[in-house]
Amino acid sequence: MGPKRKIKSGHVGADSTRVDAPDKVRGRAVYTDDIDVPGCWYGKVVRSPVAHGRLRSLKRDEEFDWSRVSVVLPDDIPGKNIADLFIHDMPFIAHDEINYLGEPLALVAAPDRELAEEAARHFHPDIEELPGIFHMEEIVDLYKKQDSSLHSLGEQTTVKGDIEKGFSEADMIVTGEYWAGYQEQLYIEPQAMIAEMTDDGGVFIRGSLQCPYFINPELCLTLNLPPEKIRVKQEMTGGAFGGKEEYPTLIAGYCALLAMKSRHPVKIVFDRNEDILFTTKRHPSWGRLKTGLKKDGTITAIHAELLLNGGAYTTISRVVLARGILHAAMGYRCDNVFVDGRIFKTHTFPCGAFRGFGAPQATWAFESHIEELAKACGMLPQEFRRKNCLVQGDVTPTGMVLKDSVGSPAVLDQVLDRSDFAKKLKQSSRGNPKHKKWYGIGLAFFAHGSGFTGDGEARFKAKGAVELDWIEPNHPGVNIRISSTEMGQGAFTIMDQIAADAISIPLDDVRCPLPDTSLCPNSGPTVASRTTMVVGHTVHGAGLKLKAALEEFASKEVFEGRPVVLENGRFVCSGEALPFRQIAASYLDKHGRLRTEHQFTLPPDLKWDQSTFKGDAYPAFSWGCNAAEVEVDPLTFEIRLKKVTACFDVGRMINPLNCKAQAEGGLVQTIGYALMEKMGIRNGKYDADRMQTYIVPTMPDIPEFDITFVEYPYEFSPPGAKGIGEMPMDGLAPAIANAIENATGLRCNRIPIMPEDLFTLHRAKHQNG
Amino acid sequence: MSNVKRTWNVNGEEKTLEFPPLRRLLDVIREDMRFTGCKEGCGEGECGACTVLLDGVPVTSCLVAAGQVPDGTQILTVEGLEKTEQGRVLQEAYVSAGASQCGFCIPGMLMASFALLSKNSRPTEEDILDAHGGNICRCTGYVKIIEAVRLAAQNWPRK
Amino acid sequence: MKKLEKSDCRFPSTLKEALELLANESTRGRLLAGGSDLMVQWAAGMEPPPRVISIKGLKELQGIKEDDGAVVIGAGVTHAHIRSSKPVQKHLPALAAAAATVGGPQIQALGTIGGNVANASPAGDLAPALLITGGEAVVASRTGERTIPLTKFFLAYRRIDLKPDEMIVRFVLPKRAAGEIEVFRKLGTRAAQAISKVMCAARFSVKAGSFETCAVALGSVGPTTVRLPKLEEWIIGKSASEETLAEVEKRASDEVSPIDDIRSTAEYRKWVSGRLVRFLLES
Repeated sequence: MGPKRKIKSGHVGADSTRVDAPDKVRGRAVYTDDIDVPGCWYGKVVRSPVAHGRLRSLKRDEEFDWSRVSVVLPDDIPGKNIADLFIHDMPFIAHDEINYLGEPLALVAAPDRELAEEAARHFHPDIEELPGIFHMEEIVDLYKKQDSSLHSLGEQTTVKGDIEKGFSEADMIVTGEYWAGYQEQLYIEPQAMIAEMTDDGGVFIRGSLQCPYFINPELCLTLNLPPEKIRVKQEMTGGAFGGKEEYPTLIAGYCALLAMKSRHPVKIVFDRNEDILFTTKRHPSWGRLKTGLKKDGTITAIHAELLLNGGAYTTISRVVLARGILHAAMGYRCDNVFVDGRIFKTHTFPCGAFRGFGAPQATWAFESHIEELAKACGMLPQEFRRKNCLVQGDVTPTGMVLKDSVGSPAVLDQVLDRSDFAKKLKQSSRGNPKHKKWYGIGLAFFAHGSGFTGDGEARFKAKGAVELDWIEPNHPGVNIRISSTEMGQGAFTIMDQIAADAISIPLDDVRCPLPDTSLCPNSGPTVASRTTMVVGHTVHGAGLKLKAALEEFASKEVFEGRPVVLENGRFVCSGEALPFRQIAASYLDKHGRLRTEHQFTLPPDLKWDQSTFKGDAYPAFSWGCNAAEVEVDPLTFEIRLKKVTACFDVGRMINPLNCKAQAEGGLVQTIGYALMEKMGIRNGKYDADRMQTYIVPTMPDIPEFDITFVEYPYEFSPPGAKGIGEMPMDGLAPAIANAIENATGLRCNRIPIMPEDLFTLHRAKHQNG
Repeated sequence: MSNVKRTWNVNGEEKTLEFPPLRRLLDVIREDMRFTGCKEGCGEGECGACTVLLDGVPVTSCLVAAGQVPDGTQILTVEGLEKTEQGRVLQEAYVSAGASQCGFCIPGMLMASFALLSKNSRPTEEDILDAHGGNICRCTGYVKIIEAVRLAAQNWPRK
Repeated sequence: MKKLEKSDCRFPSTLKEALELLANESTRGRLLAGGSDLMVQWAAGMEPPPRVISIKGLKELQGIKEDDGAVVIGAGVTHAHIRSSKPVQKHLPALAAAAATVGGPQIQALGTIGGNVANASPAGDLAPALLITGGEAVVASRTGERTIPLTKFFLAYRRIDLKPDEMIVRFVLPKRAAGEIEVFRKLGTRAAQAISKVMCAARFSVKAGSFETCAVALGSVGPTTVRLPKLEEWIIGKSASEETLAEVEKRASDEVSPIDDIRSTAEYRKWVSGRLVRFLLES
């Protein structure tokens, strides 16, 4: 007997413990590298040693015995040598121009890992090296000079009102520039994938991934296979955070190409160094804000620019930019807004998805700027936010009217109250030389769009299904069939709760298996804080349909046509009751499996213009507010985060325990983003390329937390959840910077903020003063 | 190179194995003994996912040359936890506190908790932080792990 | 990590046997104690040597003993043992504090004082606390023992005064005298498992308001851990006043020449070195 889950009565809204936990605490959860595939070979990527250049030739040592290994070169690709990631600008294997250090030049597979690695060392590329561009600073410098040598990978603008008029009405204009660095997802399980050929000439791909239906169809073009011949299954995934969103298509492609060439199953598991060096990161960013203010604190105009370092190829960057610009001036009332976002190319690995997806960069800049606006008009930070924050009925920068489900100003009020903000702000040290330790409190208020941008969900038409089936021998129950993945965030537990609630059966009669494209409809990728809200809705809808079908069956077959209700696991008919399992078993005996499906829709009046980026930017917004309390040691400028008070509105909480867990985890990742996780580029290569040098928070680094929620359900889509996954990543970095300013009197406009930066700022201030 | 032979007690069972002397203990555990609950997250002793107990002491098995583990050593991996009442109490606490998310760090984290509570079943906050400083979790933010350790301490079977 | 499996490894059962292996060029190998540094270096790409000699668990290298004036620590004693040792906590508190900041508990259980010193990293956590004791390393070879003051033991970046046939067997560390204070502080980017940006240890005494003795050592501020002889000489007899401490800060900062690397900047390190020394001497 292993540990049991605790199940409380009532499903939605209850603290059900996690469905995946018992196996995980017993070491029985099987992750990709734990799978023993008979006859499996190991794959290795032969990588470019230079960041930018032209490949003249790729020679191989003749003395090496190449018959022992399989090699894939561009000519061996059955389809097109294109990585079909959104935009077709990246080859699967480089053959001419090389655009980042580590770009694949060839793939090899061998019966064991060592031989594959040895073979990879016997390739000798001859590359004409070209100058490269690497740093955000270089991009910004060229951008300010309007230098045409900058290579744009995408841009988007959204305009509200008349920005010039807005500035002309202002009493003062405040400007600021805000930088954010790379962030590595650092999921603890490195990227891992296995591919093998199937009897019908297709491939079966399984591994650690977020989005099964990204890999299929994205590999169709490269493998020259129709989608039905590419089966993708998620295995237990040891963390992802966006890092296993678009990237797995590449590693899956490497495995599949090698499996097709070698006719063996092929596995690739990165070691940590390879994983950090050659997978995606959060885009480094630069934001410039220029805001017009009246003396009373009214905002008359916001002009926001957001630049992202896209890396070598476009991949998912335009989608990240879209979310970025939609959050770049979000949260406050203003009639005249101009937001412009751009992605520029550098000779580094393409940047990609990471929890928050452009919103953390945008919110970092904007909430730092808001602090300066408050100062400029002589208001306290909480007063300024309270005066200007969007509330129900207000209009966002894209012209979306916030009709309902608006947790503002509730989240702000809750945090101000619970953190005792006003009093603590007065206690802040502001660099007072008499204080032994400098104390400061700082605030950030923000919103985060749930689901795909604009009418993305309307166009996508996510479908989820539930299936009555034998879920164990002699146990009739319900399988949830969705393509959403469990990567640690708790999705399967939530889906179980929603399905059990909709059907009105015990949680034990429901299970959510790992998704497999051969078994699941496409409920979309596990991204964008959409799973609970969007996919949860499809499961809820499918569950209601299944319930109705079973009630009809019971009525007809058992209760002579009288009305029947399935409630709490029993079919009830005018005083009589039969257990769910009994009726379910007889249905299965008579008709076999029963599957019902439901599709997500958006309100018919939702409007979105993808070309102007105007209209309803998201189905709904979640709302959040964070207060950070820091202590800075005047001796060394070491920064210690003491306490975080956070309040979120994520709509109806399906599982409060899990909501809190998501908030805690995301907030701690943000502590890293704000204070520790520094990554530079040296000779074209990330300098923090191991766990020893890429520094993330450990247990003793975490502060005291006070996390609460206010519920403003998204009523259009039962059971009423909005997104939670990403939002904890948005606000804590600016809250910390604002707290540091209140502690030290030093304004940091660049994250991560290190003692070294405070020292530099302090010295500059001292010398100037 | 000539192999060495070692006889250990692994999760309560005696096992004799032969391997190259500098083979990582992690590989002997995962590949030779197929205790795949033990995870590799970094291969350089930073993440702690591969933590196992050698005679009750937590070590990162990626940094241990298996030949250096002497005959007679008691090795405990996550798979061995449920064989003891204490282990089950700890697992239950992790489940009910919601301490496991993606679960990849959890086998190592549990071993750190188990080592702590076996020696000190009434740990202070500082003891807990100190005992888990060598284990990185990227999902939970550690809060629920700390709660789980406190809960396990409350329920710890004391003789 | 199969490349490691190609190396031969010998497991001598006595120190004498180990020294015999070291004495002979054909059997000589890289000494492997806890593995917390070497296994990392090999994992990170350094080619493992063909021959390795395991000295983990050798009885002659174990134990913390106390004599009248000194604490004697075997080279094979682990960080975990050092931090919890009563004699170390009492007589060498900076060393106990330093050992508690090494990696996490797993690394502290594996790593040894001998290995930490032999690795000779400028960020080696124990070195500053060892240097301020004025103690000695005792190294042995088949032909006998040799004693080297720790201040002369670290020769250059990752190089110590050790011949190919020698190994460190123990450290003889004079106890702090009555009235002497020992303090240690390490700056890292995070609270656990931090590799230091700068660390500082000091042993000193103040009598009648003036510094009577003073030893200060800094790590991660140059190719080796360093003592600050100029500062130490200057401060003797100076009153423990605000003016002296301000001057200490300046002098300590002037006496080190750190570099920029992934963990910190030269400028910050130089500045904070002075700040730390001042802070420790204030306590």
